[in-house]
Amino acid sequence: MTARTVLKNEWRLLMADRPLKIALGLFVVLLGYALTNGVVWLRFQERTVEATTSGNVERASALRQELEAIEAGGQPSSPFADPRSPRVLGGPSGSHTAVLAPGPLTALAIGQSDLLPYYYDVNIYTNEASFHQNGEVENPLNLMVGRFDLAFAVVYLLPLLVLALSFNVLSEEREQGTLALTLSQPVSARSVVTVKLAFRALVVAAIVLGVSLLGALATGGFGSPGRILLWSVTVVAYALFWFALAAWVNALGRSSAWNATVLVGAWLVLVVVLPAAINAAAGLLHPLPSRVEMVTAQREASNDAVNRRSELLARYLEDHPEMAEGVVADEPGLGALSWAATDAVNGRLEEVAAEHDARRAEQTALVRRYRFLSPALLAQEALLDAAGTGDARFADFQSQVRAFAERWREFFVPAIMADEQMNAGVLADVPTFSLADGDSADLTRRATAPLAVLAGLLALIGAAAGVGLGRVRGAD
Amino acid sequence: MTESQESHTGAAPLLEARGLTKDYGGTRALDSLDLAIAPGEVYCLLGPNGAGKTTTINLFLGFVAPSAGQALVAGLNVSTHDRESKRRLAYIPEQVMLYRNLSGIENLEYFAALGGQGSLGRERLVEILVEAGLDGDAAGRRVSTYSKGMRQKVGIAIAIAKEADALLLDEPTSGLDPTASSEFSALVERLRNRGVAVLMATHDLFRAKDTGTRVGIMHYGRLVTELSTAEVGHADLERIYLEHVSDNGGPR
Repeated sequence: MTARTVLKNEWRLLMADRPLKIALGLFVVLLGYALTNGVVWLRFQERTVEATTSGNVERASALRQELEAIEAGGQPSSPFADPRSPRVLGGPSGSHTAVLAPGPLTALAIGQSDLLPYYYDVNIYTNEASFHQNGEVENPLNLMVGRFDLAFAVVYLLPLLVLALSFNVLSEEREQGTLALTLSQPVSARSVVTVKLAFRALVVAAIVLGVSLLGALATGGFGSPGRILLWSVTVVAYALFWFALAAWVNALGRSSAWNATVLVGAWLVLVVVLPAAINAAAGLLHPLPSRVEMVTAQREASNDAVNRRSELLARYLEDHPEMAEGVVADEPGLGALSWAATDAVNGRLEEVAAEHDARRAEQTALVRRYRFLSPALLAQEALLDAAGTGDARFADFQSQVRAFAERWREFFVPAIMADEQMNAGVLADVPTFSLADGDSADLTRRATAPLAVLAGLLALIGAAAGVGLGRVRGAD
Repeated sequence: MTESQESHTGAAPLLEARGLTKDYGGTRALDSLDLAIAPGEVYCLLGPNGAGKTTTINLFLGFVAPSAGQALVAGLNVSTHDRESKRRLAYIPEQVMLYRNLSGIENLEYFAALGGQGSLGRERLVEILVEAGLDGDAAGRRVSTYSKGMRQKVGIAIAIAKEADALLLDEPTSGLDPTASSEFSALVERLRNRGVAVLMATHDLFRAKDTGTRVGIMHYGRLVTELSTAEVGHADLERIYLEHVSDNGGPR
C-alpha cells in the first residue's frame, strides 16, 4: 500500500513539476541526437564495408579476366603489372581487404570503431607498419573526446540526470517540512525514500532503455538478444549505482546544497578525473614509442635492404632453407632479391612494433587494473562489449588479420622465390578472409568482471544508504 | 509493553509519559516527565522556549529516542512499537508543510493513505477538508496558494481522516490570526468530543485556557506544575505561569 501511495504521489509531483519535465525532455532530445549520430556512423561503416567487399570481388574478377586473356594470347595491360607475377597477384593490385563488420549494436555505441581500423588491405607487403596506421582521416576533436553516442550519454550524462532527480530526495522533504508529516505516519524514511528513488529509476530506465531498444530495432540489433540484455543490465546497474550514492548522501542528513556539491564532486572524480588520471598514468608509466620512430625504422631498413639485397637473400635462405630449392642458385631472380629486402624491412619493423605492442599491453594492463576504481570505466567497457565496438573485438580482428596476412604470404612467397608465373587457375586457391567473431561465451566472460564489480559497488553503497536511512527517525 | 496507569479521569490514558527523559549531549532537555492524557482530554503544555515541550512531542512521535523512561501511545511503547503507535497518532506541527505543487485534496489523499486509510475517494476527501474548515473551492487548488491557516486546516483534515486516537499539536496556532486560531480551537474541541486525547504545546495562554482541559507548565525540561483549566481564570493562569517560569534554576 505504501509503495503504491508513494508512487502515485511521485507521479503527481513529477507531472506538476515543469522544470523537471523540461529537464527530462531535454535528456530525451539528447539521447535522440546521440542515437542519430550512432545510426549515421553505422550507415557510413556499412557503406564502407560494402564498398570494400565488392572491391574484393571486382579485383578478383578483373585479375581473372586479364589472366584468361593473357592465357588466350593477349598481353598484360602493363608490363609492370603483369598479373602472372606472384609479386603483382599477391601485391597491392591483387590485395584482399579484410573487413570487420560493424558490431551488432554499433548504433548505440560507436566505441573504438571510429578510432581503430575496421578493414585492412592485405597483400604480401602487409607488415607491422600497416597495423599501426589508421586509414581514415578523422576529425581530431572526434578522436579526442569520442563521438556523442548513446554510450557516451549513458556514461557521462545519465549520472547527472540521476543526480538531478535524486540529490534532494530526502533533504528537500526535510527542508520544505513535509518529512515531519510523513514520518508521523506509520512508515519509515527508508521505505519512502526507496520507493521515491525506485520511481525515478523507473523513469530513467524507461527513457534510456526505450531509446536504446528503438535504436536496436531500427538497426537490426534484435538479432543479438544477449547483447541487448547486457546493454540493458549495464545501464540499469550503472543508474542504480548513482541512485544508491544519492540515497547514501541524503542519509547523512545534510542540506540539499551540500548534497548537490558532494554528488557533483563525486561525478567529477569518478567520471571525469579518475579515468583521465588512469589514462595519464598509463601514458606516463608506459610511454608508447613514437610513430616517427617506426617510420624512420621502415625507411632505414628499406635503404639498407636495397643496398644489401644479395647479402639479405643469403641470410633469408639461411632462415628459410625450405625456400632454397626454388631459388635459381647461380643468378637469383629479381623477385627473390626484392622479397629478401622486404622481409628484412619487415623484420626491423617487427622489432619496433613488438616494443610498441609491449608498451601498449602494459598500458592496457594498467588501465584494466585500475578501471575498477571508476564505475564509469566499468560501465563503458561493458557497454562497448555489448555493442561489439570495444577494444577486445578490434584486437581479435587485428590478430585474425595478422594470421590471414601470414597465410597470404605463405601462398605467394614460395612462387616469388621460385620466379614462378601464376595463372587464372590459382585464383580459386588464393586465401580469403573470413572473420571468426567471438561467441556469446566470450562476451559473457568479458562482461562478468566489470558487471560483478559494478554490482558489488552498488550493493556496498546501497547497504550503506539503507543503514543510514534506517537511522532517520525524525525531521531534525 | 507495560500496563498503563490510569489518567486523572480514571480512563486508561491514550498518551502517557513515564519518567520520560531526554539528554542532548550534556544538556537535559526533558527531565523525568510523568504524564497521562485520557480520551477526550486536551492537555496543554506551556513553557518558554527550550522548556522541553517540542522534545516531549518528538518523543511521542518517536522522532527522537528517550535517554530514559517511556513514551506510550494507547499503552504501546513508542520505542518498541514505532509503527503501531504512529497508527494511533496524528500530528500537526507549528507549520503544516505540504506538497506545494499538489492540491489540498491530493495532499490529504497522500497522507491519509500513508496513515493507513487506503483510498478514500475524492468526494470523501473534499468532505473531510470541508469538515476541517477549508472552503470546498479551495480544496482543489494548489497548496502554494494557501495561507498558513488553510494549511493548518489540511493538517486537521489529515488527523480527521486518520481517525487517530491521539493528537499531538506543536504550537499549532502560532502565527494564525485570531479568527483562524478560534476556528482551529473549535476543530480541536470537536475532536476532543469524539474521544481523541490531545497534547498541545503552546505559548498561547489564552488558547490553552480556552481549549485545554488541563495545563502543564514546563521549565528547563521539568513539568513544574499541573492544573485543571476549569479551576483557574485567564488572569490566574498567567500569574501562575509567570511565577513558575521565572528563572529559578538553570538547565542541568
